[in-house]
Amino acid sequence: MSQNRRDFLKTFAAIGTTAATLTAVTPNIAKGSSRRELSIDRKGVLVDTTVCIGCGKCEWACKTAHNMEAGNFDDYSSQLTDGSQRRPSENALTVVNQIDTSIMNSDKVKLQCMHCDHPACESACIVSAITKQENGAVTWDTDKCIGCRYCMVACPFQIPAFEYQKALDPKIVKCDFCYDRTKEGKLPACVEICPVGALTYGTREELLIEAKRRISKDPDKYFDHVFGEYEVGGTSWLYLAENNLVNKVFPKLGTNTAPGVSESIQHGLFAYFVPPVALYALLGGVMWLSKNKDKNEGGH
Amino acid sequence: MRKLFYLILLVFLASNLFAQNKLSKLHSKQNLDCSTCHECEVPTKTNPCLALCPRDKGKGTTHKVEDAPKVLEINKIKGEKDLYGAVNFSHKIHAEMSEMANGCVTCHHYNPPGKMVSCDFCHNTERSESKANIPDLKSAYHRQCMGCHTTWEEESRCENCHALNDEHKSTSTTSEIVKVHDSVTRPQTKVYETPNTNKGKVVTFHHNDHIELFGLECVDCHKDESCQSCHNQKPNFKKAENKVQHSSCNTCHETEDEKQCAKCHQESETKAFNHFAKTGFDLNKYHSKNTCSSCHKTKGSYTGLNSQCKNCHTWNNENFKHSITGLELNEEHSELDCTDCHENNNYKKPTCTSCHDESEGFIVPKKLPGKRIK
Repeated sequence: MSQNRRDFLKTFAAIGTTAATLTAVTPNIAKGSSRRELSIDRKGVLVDTTVCIGCGKCEWACKTAHNMEAGNFDDYSSQLTDGSQRRPSENALTVVNQIDTSIMNSDKVKLQCMHCDHPACESACIVSAITKQENGAVTWDTDKCIGCRYCMVACPFQIPAFEYQKALDPKIVKCDFCYDRTKEGKLPACVEICPVGALTYGTREELLIEAKRRISKDPDKYFDHVFGEYEVGGTSWLYLAENNLVNKVFPKLGTNTAPGVSESIQHGLFAYFVPPVALYALLGGVMWLSKNKDKNEGGH
Repeated sequence: MRKLFYLILLVFLASNLFAQNKLSKLHSKQNLDCSTCHECEVPTKTNPCLALCPRDKGKGTTHKVEDAPKVLEINKIKGEKDLYGAVNFSHKIHAEMSEMANGCVTCHHYNPPGKMVSCDFCHNTERSESKANIPDLKSAYHRQCMGCHTTWEEESRCENCHALNDEHKSTSTTSEIVKVHDSVTRPQTKVYETPNTNKGKVVTFHHNDHIELFGLECVDCHKDESCQSCHNQKPNFKKAENKVQHSSCNTCHETEDEKQCAKCHQESETKAFNHFAKTGFDLNKYHSKNTCSSCHKTKGSYTGLNSQCKNCHTWNNENFKHSITGLELNEEHSELDCTDCHENNNYKKPTCTSCHDESEGFIVPKKLPGKRIK
């Protein structure tokens, strides 16, 4: 019996060694990358906060396009002046806040899902309900969603919201980049309604060129940074502002993809099943040794 | 064969020449720098390399405000729901206000040679078809307006400019277009306290005098004004503090010269400038419309002038009409030389004694050498 176990463990150790060698030899797969290649023509929106007047029409249009209770068209601009920093929620997929409420007429910033190039939510979703679409939108399949809310925890921008108020069939909600509208060739509802054109819809590539053109043309007007170009591996929504938005509007985020960290740990942990096997092997070895010890002691 | 060759050459040259003429008609006859519109050195027809949004330098030709209509109807964009009717844009008022800031180029930032181009020359009416670097027409319009309108309006209500179409009109009165306020009142005199200077503590600014008496135009002082310096309707919007006002005075007054401080900075309010009280020369009668510099030719120097008429006026017997003094000379007197009555260059009071015996009662103003007409 003990002989059998020894054989068993030997075999296992051999497999483990082979697997470990294999891991070392196999080229490193880009960590946290989506399974699909990102399309060069993926769309984005350039938000020029210096242009935004805070009318809140985008909020109204968003609700209307998503069949949500929208209320009065004219009541939106007054929400800015109460000084609160609102967050996108299950009742409002996008919100506009005044960045610095202590200064009258300071810049306004629109918040919604950033539609990351490497979405942490997609990576975190255990049922693969969330998808990064070819056009850049990060969408989700309500039928697949089991309501685990992992995406809410994973999102570096704290965007996905959950319908906590609904007792029956609560759902995850967030900005879907007007996926249904853009499929038909329409602009996203917010982009379409913006009276001052603070939002520009286009391919991410062309928007980055345009953003940099604006900065170089007006270096006094803009803070020299396009937020979203590299943050968490790049986002579809890009921001231009007079001042640095980091720590004021957005958290300080590195340029590594958000799922990069978690996936490298997870994938590393379970890569080719080596670490678990190694762990069990170690434990098995300890057990075996101690058992042998017991036997020897018992023999005396 | 050779003839044919020459013919072709001739045609080619002629067409070339013609093409050049056509171009010159549009371009070179205009007194413009190429870089006004073109970004590269050699623009071609296929690649004119037109400057993008040539806003910064106010490029292009200029036009007169008077040539434009007073009120423009803007009705080029139709929304999905067709909520609003045309916007009646009071072009003249805005043009006048813009004179106090950046002028026409505040809005008309691209003026190629020729007739004034409308905004949709560059700005596409369809947002979905417009390029990332040129805002669509709706955005372009709103950016022009909202840049100023948000700085002073309590709420940027759409109905402030856009009249709702009839079928969308609500019964409440809030959707009416806000009327422009009544005429702007011009301040007479403003008293500024300047406690931080060690000179005089009070500056009395006779606003009215600067316009009426000194003949200044509004824009001579009111340049680089922001909208909210006048349009300041937000109660919690801090009105610009009375900073050092020298910038509006130093085009005429020497604010850097320490000896000149007391001219404005005094211990108490000062009276308005009165030429007669100061110099004894009354301007109100005939010279009220003159600017200071029309007599005081040396800039900045207002020291006493020779107050004799001939000092400025080149009048002689032939071209002087005595009637402008209010006295039309009768036939006998109109024949006389000026100096016959006005001796010693004194044109105020004539002497009659050189011709008339005083005992006969020929003393001005009892007896006049003509008819008083004023």
